[in-house]
Amino acid sequence: MVEAKKVRRTTLDPAVADLLKGMQQKQTESQLPRREREKLSRERAKIQSRRDQRATYDLPRSIREGLRVLAEDLRLPASQLATLALARFLNEYQNGSIDLGQYKQPSRSPRYDWNLVFPEEIVFAGRRKKGS
Amino acid sequence: MGRPLLPILCVFLYDESILTLRVKMTMIFAFANQKGGVGKTTSAVTLADGLARLKRRTLLVDLDPQGHLALSFGLDKSPGLYRLVCLDEPLSEVVQSIRPNLDLVAGDKQTEKVKRQITLADFRESILSDLLANSGYDVILLDMAPSLDVLHINGLIAAEWVVIPTRLDALAVDGVKEILTTMAEIGQNGHRYRGYSILPTFFDRTTRETLIQFEEITRIFGSNVWPPVPQDTRVRETAAYGQTLWEYSPDSSSVEGYLDGRQRLGGYRQVLGRMLEVIDG
Repeated sequence: MVEAKKVRRTTLDPAVADLLKGMQQKQTESQLPRREREKLSRERAKIQSRRDQRATYDLPRSIREGLRVLAEDLRLPASQLATLALARFLNEYQNGSIDLGQYKQPSRSPRYDWNLVFPEEIVFAGRRKKGS
Repeated sequence: MGRPLLPILCVFLYDESILTLRVKMTMIFAFANQKGGVGKTTSAVTLADGLARLKRRTLLVDLDPQGHLALSFGLDKSPGLYRLVCLDEPLSEVVQSIRPNLDLVAGDKQTEKVKRQITLADFRESILSDLLANSGYDVILLDMAPSLDVLHINGLIAAEWVVIPTRLDALAVDGVKEILTTMAEIGQNGHRYRGYSILPTFFDRTTRETLIQFEEITRIFGSNVWPPVPQDTRVRETAAYGQTLWEYSPDSSSVEGYLDGRQRLGGYRQVLGRMLEVIDG
């Protein structure tokens, strides 16, 4: 039986590792044909321009899955659907048509006063019903 | 009826106060590399002033007869080290207060006489270490000369942590290995280092040679490599104006590092953070 080749792993300072990775990536790119280099450069610029629009939230798997499936069905970017959903929620909250009181429970975290505890029908609303 | 909580609480607080009681210790860093022109003095000056700005009582000691530490702060060279070692003047008398929380033991060509004096003394390797003991400073930074003489050995023995600034050229790894060999020899004679760090300086991430050397030193020395300091013309100007980088160009890339997306990579500010991690354990 042939043993898998053992690769020695070196732990690096995180900043050193990031810098090294970036430099290696640039070095690899510099050896690509001009057209591919330009394509990568455009993609990088696009990602950078979108960076300020990015946010990270913890969402239940069912919500994420529901959004993904809906986006695929409607052939839309999932980010745009999420934007619409959040914008509508904010409007409705500001109009007073959404009351968070029914979900609020005291939090034991020093950072927050409250947690929102959702009933299952909300968390699993994102799930697609069979046959629909 | 439950037991009163107050005595229990008092005992708890008393124990906590014992646990948090710490003896004030001085941390000594040596900035060493037998190669010249690698950024030892600039790194020592910048990081010492950075620590002082963070309210750490800091002492800089110039072990180099060129006496460039004083010049870096816009002062004249003076025989501070000579007075300390050869004339037996107390440390408090020879230090110059150069910035808030920052003192200097300056050097000049008389430092050569210090080497001769030390060579003739008994227990010569630990003279500097003894003179700096109980100094009352939080941190001491030793700026070493690019040589391997008795004063260099004294500096390496006084230090608990050695910072090895190095350029990333073909001879860089060899220079670093030389210092580490000397440290290992000193270690065999009973001195214990808390650690060492390699500080890449004059870093130019656009060149292939930098990448090759950076890959090499990270492969060999792993997490001992600190974030590099980007090459920056303003570093040279800084010394000419007798100011530190924090005063002259705090927004320069040598201080702030490279901007990579939202994060900063390298630069003296990040290196200062690594030093604080070492100091605070």
